[in-house]
Amino acid sequence: MEGLIIAVIFAILVLVTISLGVRLVPQGYKYVVQRLGKYHKTLGPGLNIIIPYVDTVAYKVTTKDIVLDIPSQDVITKDNVVIIANAVAYINIVTPEKAVYGVENYTLAIQTLVQTSLRSIVGEMELDDALSSRDQIKAKLKASISDDIADWGITLKTVEIQDINPSPTMQKAMEEQAAAERLRRATVTKADGEKQAAILQAEGRFEASKRDAQAKIVLAQASQQAIEKVAQAIQEKELPVVYLLGEKYIEAVKGLSESPNGKTILLPADIPAAVRGIMGAMGK
Amino acid sequence: MEIQLLWWHWMVLGMLLMLAEIFVPSFTIFWFGLAGLVVAVLLWLAPELAISWQVVIWALASIGFTIAWFRFFKPTMTDRTKAGLSREAVVGEIGQVIRDPQDGRRGVVRFSLPLLGDDEWEFVTTEELKVGDRVVVVDVSGNTLVVAKKGN
Repeated sequence: MEGLIIAVIFAILVLVTISLGVRLVPQGYKYVVQRLGKYHKTLGPGLNIIIPYVDTVAYKVTTKDIVLDIPSQDVITKDNVVIIANAVAYINIVTPEKAVYGVENYTLAIQTLVQTSLRSIVGEMELDDALSSRDQIKAKLKASISDDIADWGITLKTVEIQDINPSPTMQKAMEEQAAAERLRRATVTKADGEKQAAILQAEGRFEASKRDAQAKIVLAQASQQAIEKVAQAIQEKELPVVYLLGEKYIEAVKGLSESPNGKTILLPADIPAAVRGIMGAMGK
Repeated sequence: MEIQLLWWHWMVLGMLLMLAEIFVPSFTIFWFGLAGLVVAVLLWLAPELAISWQVVIWALASIGFTIAWFRFFKPTMTDRTKAGLSREAVVGEIGQVIRDPQDGRRGVVRFSLPLLGDDEWEFVTTEELKVGDRVVVVDVSGNTLVVAKKGN
């Protein structure tokens, strides 16, 4: 009977001891083992044995990349503009024992570090530079942080600027500035157009009057030539001209009589005399 | 308290314990199961064995299997992957110095394959190195490597 009790308790002891001593570490993790309260070793993935009761697994640390969200914060640029920036950092724990013993809370530590570094880097830049040179900020950020976290056994793989935006009031002011600029350009363009139109119109008028004047001269020259030719043709023979004129005169009178408002027609009694009168000096 | 343990009781217990390993992946229960099978075989050969002895044999067999595993089988289980293990993946890699360390400035080493997503790393060393030297990574310190000159 006692034998059985002792045997059962022995079996329980063995069970507990073995389960305490065997540690299965999954891939992607490392276990930090303490021997009687002091760091002893770090277990890698796979099957490991530790001395039961003496060794304890104090920390289980992931060796996968950790994504750290860096919360947005207000940053003041060199030209005193408030912008809002946030980032995301990818860290990897290279030496787990340094990470767990070197700093109380490495995620918080690195978050704060990235925040302060970001603030100081952007603080040295003008607004326009800060908005357009993310890569430069990234590189500077990485360089300034990597040294600080070296003691913690952590590698900073990348840090990316997620958003970098002017504050709402600044954004509004920038939008207003852009709108005003466009409005200014529109006004200038419109005025330019009007000026051009006026100039073109004036040029048109000028050209037209020039041509008109030329036309008048040409017309006058033509009349002169025509009159000269007629005068040449007439010479001393007055009668045919009078005849032609008389014909024209009668036709004109006929035209008058046919017009709807010409009811009364006065025909001169002595047509040759009338024609001669019209011709005036031409008759010689 | 006259429990009559038959050989197949141990057999079933052993198998159940081995099955439990599937649900509790700790790799400890498995050996208790295996020991249970051993006791079952013994009991089948010698049915007169006292219960207390059966339990003791079970416990001792468990210890035996555990020790045997770590003594004989563990050494043959080499790690086949370095996935997710930054330090192990980097230490031992060989690169070429493309900028030598001078006046407190760190050197730069380049690897033919990128390590941890970067093929150029700054390094520190205690040795005299020139551009073009081949170096082997000894340790990682933040974003800086500790290297040693690779002896040809």
